Amino acid sequence: MLRVDELTLAYGVVPVLERASLSVDTAQFVSLVGPSGSGKSTLLRAVMGLQAASGGRIECSYAPGEIGILFQDDALLPWRRAEENVALGLRLKGVARREAEAVARSWLDRLGLNGLGRRYPRELSGGQRKRVALAQVLARAPQLLLMDEPFAALDAIVRARVSQDLVRLVEAQGISVLLVTHDLEEALALSDSVYLLSQGPRARITAHYPVPLPRPRDVMQARTHPGFAPLLERLWNDLSREVGEIAA
Amino acid sequence: MNHAWVRQLAGLAVFLAVWEGAARHGMLNPLYIPAPLAIASALLTLFAEGTIWPHLEATFAAALGGLAAGLVVGTVLGVAAALLPLVAELLEPVMVLLNAVPRVVLAPLFVIWLGIGLASKVALAFILVAVVIFFTVFTGIRQVDRRLVERITTLGGGRLALLREVYLPSVTAWILGNLKVAVGFAFTGAVVGEFVAATRGLGYLLSFAQSTFNAALMLAIVTVIMVVVLLIFALAGWLEHRLLRWRG
Repeated sequence: MLRVDELTLAYGVVPVLERASLSVDTAQFVSLVGPSGSGKSTLLRAVMGLQAASGGRIECSYAPGEIGILFQDDALLPWRRAEENVALGLRLKGVARREAEAVARSWLDRLGLNGLGRRYPRELSGGQRKRVALAQVLARAPQLLLMDEPFAALDAIVRARVSQDLVRLVEAQGISVLLVTHDLEEALALSDSVYLLSQGPRARITAHYPVPLPRPRDVMQARTHPGFAPLLERLWNDLSREVGEIAA
Repeated sequence: MNHAWVRQLAGLAVFLAVWEGAARHGMLNPLYIPAPLAIASALLTLFAEGTIWPHLEATFAAALGGLAAGLVVGTVLGVAAALLPLVAELLEPVMVLLNAVPRVVLAPLFVIWLGIGLASKVALAFILVAVVIFFTVFTGIRQVDRRLVERITTLGGGRLALLREVYLPSVTAWILGNLKVAVGFAFTGAVVGEFVAATRGLGYLLSFAQSTFNAALMLAIVTVIMVVVLLIFALAGWLEHRLLRWRG
């Protein structure tokens, strides 16, 4: 379980984010959406321990080794082959080299990268690199996955495929997820719950939307569910109002 | 298919033929500009009589000794300065100063300190290489990709893992990328050192040719130096290609 309580984050005197509260329960997929500059990534960095908070609390029942993090950039080591990158995540967790390599290969296979393990990151496409980064994180068997716009750089088809891979694995393993995204459709299609941040500075969480779509979920089919369009419209209107109020 | 090298070779052949023709027709004073065949003859004599070998050996020993010492010391100081602010504070002004002056002016000083033997040549090659490598490593580490550092940190890696997985491979890449420059500097140091005061070496041989007004010998030695450095460049290029295969 992850609980963010009245969290305030600042880069200078003026807070980027003010008194934000949200929670991610076990095996729950939660998204955080909001306009640019609302502090979405900053909040995630604080949860990751990369950003100090100036107020509030972050309660996390998971040990650091149980938390997986996926950035917008795949951030693979360019001098390590795909399977070495995946194995590295395990080796830093204390897994022996041979075992780490075997687990890495099996994860690459599970994510459709069979036969590509010996390639360097530059020899892979954007989607393949993203899958390697995903394998690196999932191979460590995380209980909580923190993701900062992980699919932003991918084209629509690849994005849908990688998202589906992720949802399947997260559902199968009961992983809790906190996803930061600016894509409202993606947030609704993947999540059980969506939080909306207002425009920064001094951004706040202004609304919380439970997503009543069934699981296991097909991320493309989810968009045709009767509950999807009205929720998307509501979310869109609320976000537009937030941005509009600032512009006005 | 690219035949650039054929065109380059043909261009060189035409240039040499025109030069030889001009020399034979008395259009060039052989005291200043000897004919290519005269230079080739001086070159052949050097090798046929075996007089070149001790000089080549001396220059190689000085250049490679200075190169090895410069690479090691430059790297160690660069890493220390990048990681320890106090070392940077003390070292950076000295290195900036050494970089600002043409370091070959130190050659006479090294002769006074270390004599006219091998040591003064190694010292000059060393100082030329060490300063270049210091700045390569120092600025390289400070500009290391922060995303990779964060990736290792969020995977649970400590300082040792960062050094092994991020800093060392980055430093290796920067050094190999500058190896050709370092090789050039090492030979410059060795030859200039020998030119100032020596009893052996290609620089000494150049000085001898100058004192006897033997332009053919001088150009023959310049040719030897060019060929030797080009061969070492090729070796450095091969090493770079082999060790940095991940870069493509």
